[in-house]
Amino acid sequence: MKNSVFLNFLFLLLTKHKTKHISIFFISILIVFLSSSILFISTTLKKEIFSTLDNQSDFVIQKINSGKIENTPISWIDDFTKINGVEKIQQRVYGQYYFMPENIYFTIVGVDLFEEAINKNIKDLLSILNISDFLANDSMIIGNGIKKIFDKYHYFDSYDFKLFNNELKETKIFKELPIESNIVANDLIIMDINLAKEILNIKEDECTDIVLNVPNNLERQNVKDQLILKHSNTRILQKDNLKKEYENMFNYKGGIFLIFFIIVIVTFTLILYQRYSMISLGDKKEIGILKAVGWSIKDIIKLKIMENFIVAFMAFIIGVILSYIFVFILNAPILKNIFIGSSNMQNDFIFNAYIQIDTLITLFLFFMIPFLSAILIPVWKVAIVDSTESMK
Amino acid sequence: MIKITNLNKTFNENTKKEFHALKNINLEIKTSSCVILKGISGSGKSTLLSIIGTLLKPTSGEIKIDEDSIAKLPDLHASNFRARRLGFIFQSYNLFNELSVKDNIAITLIPLGFTQKQINEMVLKAMNLANIEHKKDELVYNLSGGEKQRCAIARALVNNPDIILCDEPTANLDHDNSINFIESLRELKKLNKTIIVATHDPIFEKLDFVDEIINIKNGIICE
Repeated sequence: MKNSVFLNFLFLLLTKHKTKHISIFFISILIVFLSSSILFISTTLKKEIFSTLDNQSDFVIQKINSGKIENTPISWIDDFTKINGVEKIQQRVYGQYYFMPENIYFTIVGVDLFEEAINKNIKDLLSILNISDFLANDSMIIGNGIKKIFDKYHYFDSYDFKLFNNELKETKIFKELPIESNIVANDLIIMDINLAKEILNIKEDECTDIVLNVPNNLERQNVKDQLILKHSNTRILQKDNLKKEYENMFNYKGGIFLIFFIIVIVTFTLILYQRYSMISLGDKKEIGILKAVGWSIKDIIKLKIMENFIVAFMAFIIGVILSYIFVFILNAPILKNIFIGSSNMQNDFIFNAYIQIDTLITLFLFFMIPFLSAILIPVWKVAIVDSTESMK
Repeated sequence: MIKITNLNKTFNENTKKEFHALKNINLEIKTSSCVILKGISGSGKSTLLSIIGTLLKPTSGEIKIDEDSIAKLPDLHASNFRARRLGFIFQSYNLFNELSVKDNIAITLIPLGFTQKQINEMVLKAMNLANIEHKKDELVYNLSGGEKQRCAIARALVNNPDIILCDEPTANLDHDNSINFIESLRELKKLNKTIIVATHDPIFEKLDFVDEIINIKNGIICE
């Protein structure tokens, strides 16, 4: 059945049954569009966040006092350096700065520009930077979201941070970060570590936390025990645990969408079943003619399955293309906010096109199998119907 | 030779709507003969034709074509039998109006696994036999009744069957086209086809090439 007559006939049937197919076609496009949009958004976000996490240090150590997180003494770095298996140990300075007019928080990150073991994400962001110019003045690099807010309040060149002692600290806007970094850096202000300490009111011999790497996986638990032995008042965050938490969060959100998807698919399957169970006189006549000229029930089922497969496949392709445009060109308006959650600042980040072929194949199968299963029984019922009367 | 023995067909068996369409039919139709099944509407002639054409299964009885029993063939074998040995011509042509003449004819050959080249050759031959090749690319929708009937004849001939079954073939044709159709049947007879025509049209009664006229009334063959 692989010749041009068959294809002609197949396309004739498609046009002949267009009223039957058209509503199903558009509903299918909508379902594929929504589900693939969600998949595109979640896989892209997941990829971005996990690549950020991958560049994080293995351990983050914070000082705890009476259950409260405090600034960590830099002297701890020396204590931890003595532990075997520890590498790339460094202080980190960051904190939230309240911007009253908009009732939002900026995230200030202090960077030691001469530190070798600087986080790769920040290193990438700073690759555009001329360090000597940057350090000559009190300068900062700002994320795209902050740029918009500063512009709104006419802080085009600099911004005056209010310090702990109520003095103002003028800080020049050196550059803005590229919009591509918005997922991780929309509300970020990057500045020299000492300037950050001054603005965030962190003493010179303190930092927000200490990070370190333990390249040998097997040593990690041992290192963790020794860190606690050195300083019992510590909170230790492990990258592996953070990854698991993010994984759980994505699985949770993905799970909700999966339930929606299943409900939609089941409903859709029932609609399909009902729609294709209706056998018109025209259908009967068509089957009757085919049977009379020697087509078997198997041939007729094959023909009908192919007819519906084309409808479903075209709907799938169109749905995926539309969702690609929606997510990666139009940046998924509305839908992306569901995934970003309670961000304190409007984030106009750009989704970098990232498609996992296996995810698309899974979606294809999850869509196609219920679709074709739902029409199989009605098609079989049509194929076995006694159509001799309808041919008269 | 088509041999029918004690054939019965009951519709809606064991229900209030039970209807005996054919009762104890015994019949022999010789190879290459032309037989007319005559009777009024509802007499059972189309049912008999459908059973011979394996579109319907008899309730009881036997049909043998050249010693092969076809009464209870499973669908796959029945369809194969129809595709290779039978050609149907219907009262209302039963063509796909949206397809061209040649595509309508070629549909018969699709399940038989021929190549496109073979299909083209067979379709051309059938169109020549039915004298419709000049309309090969025309949509059936645009054809006259007589042309549609010729297209239906070409479709019935394309697989080179040895049995042609015609169900009320002239019911929708005017007198001239009916005469033309009868001439086509005469040509088919010359090609040694076995022709069975179910009709109530009196035009078939006095044809020189008709070998036998069988009257059917209320599902029974009348002598």
